[in-house]
Amino acid sequence: MDRVTRVVARVEAEGMNSLHHNLAGFIHVLRHLGLRVSVAEALDAYQALTAVDLMQKERVKAALQAVLVKDRAGRALFGLAFDRFFVTPEEKRRRQQLRRQWEEEQAIQQQQAAAELQEAVRQWHPDYQFTGEQVATFARLPSEQRRRFKEIMGRMRGNPVNDPHDLIAQVIQSSLNYWRYYLMKNRVENQPPDAVHTGREDLDAVIAGVAADFYRDPDEQIMHADMQNITGRDVDRMTALIQRLSAQLASRLSRRYRRSRLHRQVDIRRTIRRNLRYGGTPLELSYRARRAHKPRLLLICDVSASMARYARFVLQFVYGLSSAVQEIESFVFSEDLERITPFFKHGRNFTETMTGLINESRQWGQTTNLGAALQTFERLYRPLLKSDTHVLIVSDAKTIAPEKAAGLLAVVRRQAREIIWLNPVPEREWQHLPGLAAFREQAGMFECYTPAHLEDILRRQLKKI
Amino acid sequence: MNLTIEQLHRSLELADYICDEELVVTVYLALKLGRPLLVEGAPGVGKTEVAKALARVLQTDLVRLQCYEGLDENRALYEWNYQRQLLKIQIARNSCNDAELEKSLFDPEYLLERPLLKAIRAGRQVVLLIDEIDKTDPEFEAFLFELLSDFQVSIPELGTLKAVHIPVVVLTSNGDRELSDGLKRRCVYLYIDYPGVEKEVRILQVKVPEAGETLVREVARAVHYIRANLDLKKQPSIAETLDWARALVALHAGALTPQNMDRTLNLLLKNRDDQQAVRTEPGLEQLLSRSREAGPGGDAASRCACGRHGA
Repeated sequence: MDRVTRVVARVEAEGMNSLHHNLAGFIHVLRHLGLRVSVAEALDAYQALTAVDLMQKERVKAALQAVLVKDRAGRALFGLAFDRFFVTPEEKRRRQQLRRQWEEEQAIQQQQAAAELQEAVRQWHPDYQFTGEQVATFARLPSEQRRRFKEIMGRMRGNPVNDPHDLIAQVIQSSLNYWRYYLMKNRVENQPPDAVHTGREDLDAVIAGVAADFYRDPDEQIMHADMQNITGRDVDRMTALIQRLSAQLASRLSRRYRRSRLHRQVDIRRTIRRNLRYGGTPLELSYRARRAHKPRLLLICDVSASMARYARFVLQFVYGLSSAVQEIESFVFSEDLERITPFFKHGRNFTETMTGLINESRQWGQTTNLGAALQTFERLYRPLLKSDTHVLIVSDAKTIAPEKAAGLLAVVRRQAREIIWLNPVPEREWQHLPGLAAFREQAGMFECYTPAHLEDILRRQLKKI
Repeated sequence: MNLTIEQLHRSLELADYICDEELVVTVYLALKLGRPLLVEGAPGVGKTEVAKALARVLQTDLVRLQCYEGLDENRALYEWNYQRQLLKIQIARNSCNDAELEKSLFDPEYLLERPLLKAIRAGRQVVLLIDEIDKTDPEFEAFLFELLSDFQVSIPELGTLKAVHIPVVVLTSNGDRELSDGLKRRCVYLYIDYPGVEKEVRILQVKVPEAGETLVREVARAVHYIRANLDLKKQPSIAETLDWARALVALHAGALTPQNMDRTLNLLLKNRDDQQAVRTEPGLEQLLSRSREAGPGGDAASRCACGRHGA
């Protein structure tokens, strides 16, 4: 029997409870929670386990953490996953049982919701087919909202129009769309946040548990909270977070110089002059000074009505960057574009800067017209764009005349190095935003409504700046 | 390396490096698996000290490469001693044939070893500390990644030099820049957070033995309170805690008082705004009483959620 067959036979004989199996399962869970674990790291993990006493749980945890998690952010997730995964078989069974119960309850709720919906439209459209997502949205609504929804349907019954089928279908569609969006933005209590499930019952129980626990941690909550929902004391905490993130980028921009592509070049004239005392033998070389290369950053922030709830934090971010780094050009826009760079040059604090800005700018809370804004930019500020300028746009992309705006954005794109677009609308909603696809052709667009998103973008997308 | 985890723990403590089990297991794995150890954490939490302590434990030399913006292979790996070569040419002119001269010019005696080559050519296993790797350019990081993969280097004039003894490699990073996935994948990873009160008390006892028990505890609690509750521009590091404690000892302080805190605060907080912030809100008296109230564990009632502080 060859070696591979022997190993496979041994692993199969040990069944699901072998070290290999458990480790592979655990790594699978980590990947589904968003941690990147390579095959090489998985092999390291196995080797690490052979180097520590498996009976000492804390050591096993430390060993796996050392080889599987390579950044600070992942450590919290790893800790929760480890504590939930490596439990006694009885505990594992109990948790699976709980999850099964939860799934059954969900299924019953879905059935009831489907029946209620069907009943509500029975008179007009007995064969109307609701999508799974619509049923799920309806099932998650609070009872008061469900009752109102059915009431609306009832009222329509007494007010027939020429073709009630289409109308009802449209009302249902738009109403459920609204609620789906609302529920997603205001995650209902006990609703586990997004985590990709594996389809294996035992692993999914761990993933769901970890995801729910993770967001209970106050630090993680604020990191993953939608900035528009922040109120009260959390505003200060969020402000501190945004300050920290903008300071991170500011320090990188002010300190980091991209190296010139030129290698060190000998300055012949200075070298000869310097070495005259050695009879012209070039003992001491002089080099041409390397060109320090600072990246240029241009910020364009949407402060229209639809962005109003994000504006405070967006401006906090802009303030943090612009007041620390001289080379940043900043603009705000809604119906038109205004340059706000001079407001950050006086060394004033955030409140004073914002007061000056709000008093003098006419853009706050207006409708959005990115096209007009970009036209103004093209007319007045085009020279600011260089081939090494990184343009950072913060906007929800809800603009009038998106096609025209996309065309003008393409012009900006051709003159700049790249466009990075931070969009506070969740990515899964992008398909419903008209014109957004055209913007994405010109800009790298990233969903960004929580500090965690912002941190991730700064770490990954902006690291080349 | 034939140390067990327990022995390594004891040895590190004997080398004056106070650490918890997680750190010991991680360092042990790096040694056991022969992988570089990547240490991340805020400035001043003892990242560089890990390498120094390891060198003491392994009773070997520490070779240090301090990284900075623009560091290139010449400064990190090797350079030919250009001036000596030129002098040799001048001296040997007309006295020997050209082929022999050229051969002798690229003799190892004209090679200027920089830290990486020094670690590779060392006669015994050394600890190679690559400090603040995040300060280098991505290109240099890629070069380092290759070097750390097979510990050999090709010098065109001399051929390939392979390490006789694979060095113990410790890389540190303050997290200024995200390191490449490739480099991270190769390393065993250690994140060092600010210590808890008890650990910091032990560090103070070892490093500042002349400080009394009361002073040590109060200093540790006050620093812990500041880190957990105040959002400062620069949190006090362990090194600054030690400086503060030494300054208080020099002033013959047996315990913290608002007066001696006021006189020595500049050793703990190195930023004027931070000093001002602590003096006004919460104020030194309040800070002292709150940190005392927080109890032996140092857990204050509220925790800062600025995201900068570890659990």
